[in-house]
Amino acid sequence: MRLTVILAIVGVLGVASCNRSTRSAAQGSAAPIQANVGPIPGGLEGVNARLNPYATDAVALQDGRRLFDWYNCSGCHGGHAGGGMGPSLRDETWIYGNHDSQIFDSIAQGRSKGMPAWGTKIPEDQIWQLVAYIKSMRTPEEPDPPVEPADEMVGGPGPDSPVEPSPHNP
Amino acid sequence: MRIYLPTLIVILIVQSAAMETAIAQNSGPITVPGSRPNIQLVAPLASGQWTMPAGDYGNTRFSPLDSINTRNVQNLHVVTTTSTGIPHGHEGQPLVVNNTLYIVTPFPNNLIALDLTKPGFPQKWIFRPNPDIRSVGIACCDIVNRGASFADGKIIYNTLDAHTLAVDANTGKEIWRTAVGDIKIGETTTMAPVVVRNMVYAGISGGELGVRGRLIAMDLKSGKILWRAWNSGSDADALIGPNFKPFYAKDQGKDLGLSTWTPGQWKLGGGPVWGWISYDPELNLIYYGTGNPGVWNADMRPGDNKWSITIWARDPESGQAKWAYQVVAHDAWDYDEIMENILVDMPWQGRQRKLLLHPGRTGFMFVLDRESGEVLSAEKYEPVNWANSYNLKTGLPDENPEKRTHAGQYATHICPSSTGGKDFIPSAFSPRTGLLYIPAHNTCMDYEGTAVNYIAGTPYLGASVRMYPGPGGYQGELVAWDVAQAKKVWSVKDIDLPVYSGVLATGGDLVFYGTMEGWFRALDAHTGKVLWEFKTASGIIGDPITFSGPDGKQYVAIYSGIGGWMGATALPDVSTDDPYATLGATGAMKKIKTLTQPGDLLYVFGY
Ligand code: HEC
Repeated sequence: MRLTVILAIVGVLGVASCNRSTRSAAQGSAAPIQANVGPIPGGLEGVNARLNPYATDAVALQDGRRLFDWYNCSGCHGGHAGGGMGPSLRDETWIYGNHDSQIFDSIAQGRSKGMPAWGTKIPEDQIWQLVAYIKSMRTPEEPDPPVEPADEMVGGPGPDSPVEPSPHNP
Repeated sequence: MRIYLPTLIVILIVQSAAMETAIAQNSGPITVPGSRPNIQLVAPLASGQWTMPAGDYGNTRFSPLDSINTRNVQNLHVVTTTSTGIPHGHEGQPLVVNNTLYIVTPFPNNLIALDLTKPGFPQKWIFRPNPDIRSVGIACCDIVNRGASFADGKIIYNTLDAHTLAVDANTGKEIWRTAVGDIKIGETTTMAPVVVRNMVYAGISGGELGVRGRLIAMDLKSGKILWRAWNSGSDADALIGPNFKPFYAKDQGKDLGLSTWTPGQWKLGGGPVWGWISYDPELNLIYYGTGNPGVWNADMRPGDNKWSITIWARDPESGQAKWAYQVVAHDAWDYDEIMENILVDMPWQGRQRKLLLHPGRTGFMFVLDRESGEVLSAEKYEPVNWANSYNLKTGLPDENPEKRTHAGQYATHICPSSTGGKDFIPSAFSPRTGLLYIPAHNTCMDYEGTAVNYIAGTPYLGASVRMYPGPGGYQGELVAWDVAQAKKVWSVKDIDLPVYSGVLATGGDLVFYGTMEGWFRALDAHTGKVLWEFKTASGIIGDPITFSGPDGKQYVAIYSGIGGWMGATALPDVSTDDPYATLGATGAMKKIKTLTQPGDLLYVFGY
């Protein structure tokens, strides 16, 4: 298990010159890793990670919003990604990191607790549009941000059923 | 007393099948001391032990134990607490069998046995089933579990990844494990299985993922699947045969599970079975309800969508249907009717009848004749405006067309919300008061049908929903409902949060329940006066139980751990700035993050 992780990191770093057999990795003959490995899944400093080609492109954000419903992301993550079967994507907490490429990988490869792997179903450019939309949440650029119901019913006009006051409300 | 009842349970469950049939069919209804005139219940009641989810087959959640009572309840205090280590919604209830208390935790569904013979009730063993972790992401409403059943020396329960398990109650070793569903198409299991004689009954969840609901019967010894009763499709699939006699014309006809759908849509027809199962040994029928039809956008599935949102009566051996009553045809609100069906024999308008009490998610309190499936009464117990009333002659609701939801526009101010006048959290009935204690909430919603694609294993939802507290300035209410008079007699309200815990009624004339803030309360069963309360660590969405310890003393146990559909907003994974989060419930639950935090405790109280 640990060996696979090492190999994966080596792969990500593009340091491919070493012999990839587990034995040589175990013997420590891999090239020294230059960048700080950091906590997993932590920063990607020094790593040549992919950036979203759409960045904050307004059309891509709109497309991402539409795709978020189209591919049923909203069913799991909430209508505006506030959470449900899957975690909130609006908040500050990122289980698998919030670098463009990490969000891309979460979507494309899936994640252990039941996040489906969409890589075979969603074209790459659409995944980037989804990444763009997700990263726009809680920013002024967020398309179709969540709205509260116009008037909550607390104290307002109610339906027909009478509601008696409770004699024993502690 | 403590010896007698457990013995009876053992006889009922362990003896040979033929013998058991004889005993079960002869065991008529019983009268509890101090009952209102002519009220009788299905024997045996939970007394001393707690061997099945509701404590008794009749689902009364009434225990005759009375050493804790209205006079001494103020002496109740914490005897022990136990952590499950999983800070998610703790629904359901523990079991108590042979001086051992069994906890089924939320996912990963560990089974923890506590030794009640030793001080502090220390852990005996823990069994870890290691269910498939992918099931976490397809569980609609937190990673909950609603409990276990004991039979034949086994603890039987479901794991979230759609398996039913039997574990040796003494050793904690797995005996069998049966796949009852497939997580790859969105099927999970959260309900508590029930055992009748040599069969185990379980159902699947997944109404939000386009599953095809069913009840599954398994052999108690081996776990082998004996039959499945589907909630959509042909009569053969639904186990509908010559004995099927639904009371109302609307539920009669051939292959309604096919003809009330557009072609093929029934395959994604929903109608999951994720609630409670009752059993009447005298009539030899099991009763349970089904959930919402597949896809919340009703315009995508024209027709009555049978057998979603239906109460079934079935023969426990063959599974053959005796009657069915579809509570809501062509659901447009997600009004699953998987609620508890409470079996009570009592006078009804001058005549002694076998009743089935069903406090509905629809906000109506239904009373049915459980021999025939006739609806005798349907009255509102919380604000309701999707329908004005039920026509008892036709069994149909008089709907308010403005509140029927459609694709492309919001229907607004619908009451109750999808979460219902109450959700799955079970009520309790006391024969000594004739009152049903309903854990209710008053939440309304805006609901719009939206386009959706079926992608296996992902939500087949097709709705945009946002909920908010209903009218009247409260959101939770423990309702005491006079069954004979079909009306509310008193209630205890909660301003901010729903009442989302189960209820227990006792021979000591106490009613126990918890609040989502974490208060655990004992009320006077007659008046509703709060006689005792204790603030637990987290919000309560579990069901209280009571039992006698090896020392002969009475104890009361409850889980404290917020979560579940309405409580999920308290979990760190949910953001309150999206009212549409957690299938729209977050809109009504924003305040919960400021009132309670996730927890994972079992509390046991004694005096
Ligand atoms: C079946 C439910 C489900 C669907 C459908 C789904 N997700 Fe997820 N998603 C999850 C779960 C559960 C997790 C958390 C996985 C974990 O913790 O291992 C998750 C995690 C994620 C993460 C990582 C979050 C983090 O904190 O690191 C992203 C990003 C994400 N999903 C985006 C999407 C997008 C975009 C779609 C639609 C294409 C989608 N999801 C569809 C359930 C789902």
